Amino acid sequence: MRILVVEDEARLAANIARSLRESAGYAVDIATDGEDGLFMAESNPYDAILLDLMLPRIDGQELLKKLRGAKQHTPVMVVTARDEKESVIALLNAGADDYLTKPFDLGELLARVKALIRRGKGQASPVLAVGDLEINTVDRTVRRNQRAIVLTAMEYRVLEYMAHRPRALVSKTELLEHLYDYNWEKFSNVIEVYISGLRRKLNKGSAAPLIHTYRGQGYVLRP
Amino acid sequence: MPTSSIRQRLIFTMVLTQALLAAGLVFTGVYYTHRRLQASLDANLHARAIAVGALVRYPEQPHQPFIFETGLVPARDLATGDMFEITAPGIGAVARSPRWSDDLDLRGNGKAYRKIKLAGIPYRVLRLENVPVLDREEEPSNLPSTLTVIYATPELEIQRQVWRAGFYIAFASLVLLAVTVVLALWGIRRGLSPLQDMAVEASHISAQHWDFTPPHEAELVAELRPLAEAMETMLQRLQQSFEQQRQFLGNAAHELKTPVAILKSTVQSLLQKPRTSPEYQAGLAQSLEDIERLENLLQGMLRLARAEQWAYGTLKRNLESVDLASTCEDAIEGLRGLASAHHADIKLDAEDGIICRADPEDLQLVWINLLENAVRYSPEGTTVRVNVGRSDHKARVVVEDQGPGIPAEELPLIFERFHRGEASRSRETGGFGLGLAIAKALIEAYGGSITPESAVGRGTRMIVHLPLNLN
Repeated sequence: MRILVVEDEARLAANIARSLRESAGYAVDIATDGEDGLFMAESNPYDAILLDLMLPRIDGQELLKKLRGAKQHTPVMVVTARDEKESVIALLNAGADDYLTKPFDLGELLARVKALIRRGKGQASPVLAVGDLEINTVDRTVRRNQRAIVLTAMEYRVLEYMAHRPRALVSKTELLEHLYDYNWEKFSNVIEVYISGLRRKLNKGSAAPLIHTYRGQGYVLRP
Repeated sequence: MPTSSIRQRLIFTMVLTQALLAAGLVFTGVYYTHRRLQASLDANLHARAIAVGALVRYPEQPHQPFIFETGLVPARDLATGDMFEITAPGIGAVARSPRWSDDLDLRGNGKAYRKIKLAGIPYRVLRLENVPVLDREEEPSNLPSTLTVIYATPELEIQRQVWRAGFYIAFASLVLLAVTVVLALWGIRRGLSPLQDMAVEASHISAQHWDFTPPHEAELVAELRPLAEAMETMLQRLQQSFEQQRQFLGNAAHELKTPVAILKSTVQSLLQKPRTSPEYQAGLAQSLEDIERLENLLQGMLRLARAEQWAYGTLKRNLESVDLASTCEDAIEGLRGLASAHHADIKLDAEDGIICRADPEDLQLVWINLLENAVRYSPEGTTVRVNVGRSDHKARVVVEDQGPGIPAEELPLIFERFHRGEASRSRETGGFGLGLAIAKALIEAYGGSITPESAVGRGTRMIVHLPLNLN
């Protein structure tokens, strides 16, 4: 998953990013003003956007309206110091999916972002199930037939992304775009390495294959 | 606390005045009636005395006593209790009524009315001397030509009439008093009803609802109009300052939340998993910085509150005579570091001996706040100029920079609390937007003024005027 944090307080942005990376294994990009935020949101496929309201250049609410006006469906969580009813209502009506008032709890922020991503991809339960495979997104553990499977951080991120959209064709580019932040050099062959690692670990014990390759198009996770 | 009622007081005052009036009326009525009745009784008495005196005749033969025509005395007068005695000088009693008391034999000269009480009955007595004997046909030399008549008549009738008159007047007064009280109660209730309407209207006022339209009736009452108008203007002012306070509080809360949010997120992310000692160290150093920032913000807010408190006269301070040039020098000294970091210079051009009454720390803070802004916005290699002088019998300090200037539409906003220019917000100047607000509050507390002049691309001039201390 890849998240955009638009926040002008650099230190707060850094703390949020660190927490999202460490506790959820998300790729995080940071924009410190509204203009950057809008540009990045429009040029990269994010799974969720965290938006501060008081931003230089382009105000958070304005940014939100522009995003929604451009048919961007990415879930947006607003982080604001203002907690008056009217401004909360105005925010949600402007297209925000959730809001959190400062000062907030990082744990709560994380849980809300996870829920937003889940909902944005049509999932309700934090435990994703594909056939006999279970992916618990809360403690980031994977089981198949009650057997725990130990994955590397990158392998988990690939699996989590695909498990949010089972039976859908996921291209290598899509995976790259959603698993790495802005500052990473992206090489498509690393994806193949993760996929083969995943296949090996998931199919241990002669179970039916779950990851199917469509040559030249991508991968599908299905039972 | 005992409450007093206007209505009760008005009624009490009215009843009291009416009762006094009634008492006065009764007294005057009784007094006047008594006087009139007595006067008429006295005239009557005089007439009767003359009349009985006229019944005395000289005898037909000389050396015989006076003759008194007893049968001609009006029986009606005697029946009501009249008494009389006629005497002649040197002879003594000539005639007497059937009833007579020696107590009535009054001594004296000429004409005299007296009051006498006989057996509990008040009598009016007239002693009339030198009543001529009317029978003048032949005056015997042995008999005197004048008589003395003493005539008494009971006064009971007068007293009864006086009492009756008093009773009637008192009764009429009481009836009138009762009617007036009822009328007054009704009138006062009606008269005070606009006041009540106004109270009802005023009771709807709250922090959320400031509208106050005085009831139409209240505006028509001359005594209430000033009150209604005063309430309207008072409410407007209150609402204004309330809104200002609310906005300030909202802004302050917002400004406080951000550093707290940063601090909290730093600590939480440190605690998310075990870290290395340098990581903890970095986190603690960050936290300390954030705490210092929070401290600065709080200090700024307190300064502002203090300056305003002082401007509103709720804080007493000891002021001293301060040389403006020296406070400017001190402020500039304090900002040398910042200036060299921005590669800008500060030049002071000060006239000596410009003295104001102030707390030197306040003035320094004002200059620091103005200079800080000027330096932060100064492009490299430019100079911030400070000029201290006089104009129009006032001290004048001008802080001038060669920065980007402030757009005209933003100029009226720069003194608002927590206002930050767009440039400041994105350039991470680290301010909270309180510096200029504090400077303005302080300058105004000293009875001065601060005026910004700015042109985009040419720079900004902050002109401060302060009252001079001429002593």
